[in-house]
Amino acid sequence: MSEESDSKVEAMDLLRQLEDILESDALIDELGFIHPSQFPLLKEESDISSSLSYEASHQSEDGIVSSVESSKQDNIYFWNRDHKLGISTHVLLPLYRTVKHAFMITFKQYRMCDNQSDKVGICLPASSCDHLESTLLRHSKSLLVLSCDFMTAWNCRKLIVSKKQQLSMFVDELLLSELVLSYSPKSEQAWNHRRWVIKSISGNCSNFKEILGKESELVEKIAERSKMNYRAWNHRCWLVSYMTIEQVLCELKKSRSWAALHVADNCCFHYRRKLLLKMMEGQSCLDDVVSCGHNVNIVQALKDELDWNETLIKRYVGREALWLHRRFLSMCWINNFVPDSGDESYHSKEATGLYHDFGTFLQNELCLLHSCSTFVDDDFVDVQAQAAHSACYILWLKVQVPKPLVNELQEKIRDVDLKTFLNKSCPERSSLFNYFIN
Amino acid sequence: MAELATEKHVSYILSVEKRKDNFESVVMEHLRMSGAYWGLTALDLLGKLDSVDVEEVTSWLLSCQHESGGFGGNVGHDPHILYTLSAVQVLALFDKMDVINVDKVTNYIVSLQNEDGSFSGDMWGEVDTRFSYIAICCLSILHRLDKINVEKAVKYILSCKNMDGGFGCTPGGESHAGQIFCCVGALAITGSLDLVDKDLLGWWLCERQVKSGGLNGRPEKLPDVCYSWWVLSSLTMIDRVHWISKEKLVKFIIDCQDTENGGISDRPDDAVDVFHTFFGVAGLSLLEYAGVKPIDPAYALPVDVVNRIFFTK
Repeated sequence: MSEESDSKVEAMDLLRQLEDILESDALIDELGFIHPSQFPLLKEESDISSSLSYEASHQSEDGIVSSVESSKQDNIYFWNRDHKLGISTHVLLPLYRTVKHAFMITFKQYRMCDNQSDKVGICLPASSCDHLESTLLRHSKSLLVLSCDFMTAWNCRKLIVSKKQQLSMFVDELLLSELVLSYSPKSEQAWNHRRWVIKSISGNCSNFKEILGKESELVEKIAERSKMNYRAWNHRCWLVSYMTIEQVLCELKKSRSWAALHVADNCCFHYRRKLLLKMMEGQSCLDDVVSCGHNVNIVQALKDELDWNETLIKRYVGREALWLHRRFLSMCWINNFVPDSGDESYHSKEATGLYHDFGTFLQNELCLLHSCSTFVDDDFVDVQAQAAHSACYILWLKVQVPKPLVNELQEKIRDVDLKTFLNKSCPERSSLFNYFIN
Repeated sequence: MAELATEKHVSYILSVEKRKDNFESVVMEHLRMSGAYWGLTALDLLGKLDSVDVEEVTSWLLSCQHESGGFGGNVGHDPHILYTLSAVQVLALFDKMDVINVDKVTNYIVSLQNEDGSFSGDMWGEVDTRFSYIAICCLSILHRLDKINVEKAVKYILSCKNMDGGFGCTPGGESHAGQIFCCVGALAITGSLDLVDKDLLGWWLCERQVKSGGLNGRPEKLPDVCYSWWVLSSLTMIDRVHWISKEKLVKFIIDCQDTENGGISDRPDDAVDVFHTFFGVAGLSLLEYAGVKPIDPAYALPVDVVNRIFFTK
């Protein structure tokens, strides 16, 4: 045999090994590409740990597991232990080429088989179709493990799973996507695949609520390792549309401590904004809320969020995401609870109260400005950033406040020379400031 | 200040196609159609499109077309609206629109519009404002914008607007400069820019410029050359470019060049790729950098190509 065909046989064998591992260990939850030089080290470590665990497992398992484990560890291309899989970077290219070729050919056959059965109206021998399907599921999985955004492989799985309509198969897709996300947390296709699964099962799944909860937890787990991951958080925002008001409140409570530990992660604050907006939406259909037995007090929720945000701003100096969150909260406050003067309800007792609240609110914001805006030239970068953010925030408020209320704000900030202050703290944005001040 | 290493970038772009011997490059083959668009548009902006073989590119491109009318990212790959736009843009660069059946491509895109006006990326139903832009941009290039419900498409895009003035992937999705480009671009092409709060959006966009002069795509993120395109083109369309420092941005992009081997990276001293090379060159084009052809901020094609599409018939 020529050298080329030799290496082809070898690559086919590697692929078979990889697919056997993926099939035998359905619980693999972490994956990595490992440099060949790291294998001896891994072996050494696992020898130590397996000799430690041997005593424990020996009696119950009769040593069988251990012998399987040790044969696995002789492999110099794959590493599989404790549901972790490592693939040697040395074999990535031949493996990828082989699996891609095998997948593309099988998928083509499968489509032809599919077309024929459509035309004739009868299916080809069910066994041949089934065989192609299981081969495709094996190959596409290996392919996605190597190339996470190989869209056609994800699509092929969608096609097969949607034909079968078995809940367990849909759940397996969530697991595969999770495995891919473990090493490629930004994989757009892996996130898309999850949404496809969730849409597909949303109508006929008894534990759908539980699945939603798990999805939300998965995003949090991934966000911990992969900071400001847009795709991950976008997925979590997308889940909100499926949530009950009860779940929304629960998520709002849960995400608060995470946000407080990740104050630079705008994504999490955006997630909270999405939840707050959903609460406000929910408020308009009061019946819903009452029937849930929840006391959804959006005014209180906003006040709490404003207070909490102020605490964070003072504790973590110079964080843009915190100030942007404050812009949103103030905006909600103004839009929802400050009656505009043309409104009939303006004269109601409640409205007057809220109007009075607005004065207090403005007073508070100016206090915040004062406490954040003092810096001298040699202060730390964070302190300067804090001053710039606070000044921008007040200007932003001035621009956003509806006309009838602007005078009140104007009076209050008169003693602050906002323009000088803005240009001093953030000279590079002077053209923006000039536009809005004049 | 250092200058744009045009010759180096041209040879870098031409070399990318030939590199198929390592895992990192082979594993990107599923999006080769987009790669072709980035590379070829960058070449055209640098005045060197004639260094590629048109016949070779178009015959490969045609072999990526699916019977549904849509294009895949490479031969044998499933069709997707993303690659369909890239294919159409490449054909526009070469003035070769006559090689495709325009109605067939149109039907593919039309079939992806949903009841609420949004667009799916393919038959599997993922919805994203990026796909709205793609559908609108592509149909406009094909002179078939009247085949979709534009009013509903615009309404859907506006439903993805956030209180900060920006846009996300779907209603309530976080504002992101890339999504903003898509939404503003789609609104520009459909003549609906009056529906954008230009002051509010411009404010958010200009706050993307960080101290180094580079632009980020979201708050608290590091600057990245690709946002020189997404942010800058959006600011251009809403007429607020003067709110950022152009000089500092030019310097940032120039600093991201590999002056030895060509190509532009996301940030200074990182590894280059064709994606960032295109967006760096496109950014410089919007900044009116000498020697780079002007680019259209909505169609993401050279202005002379856009003019040819709409003014010669």
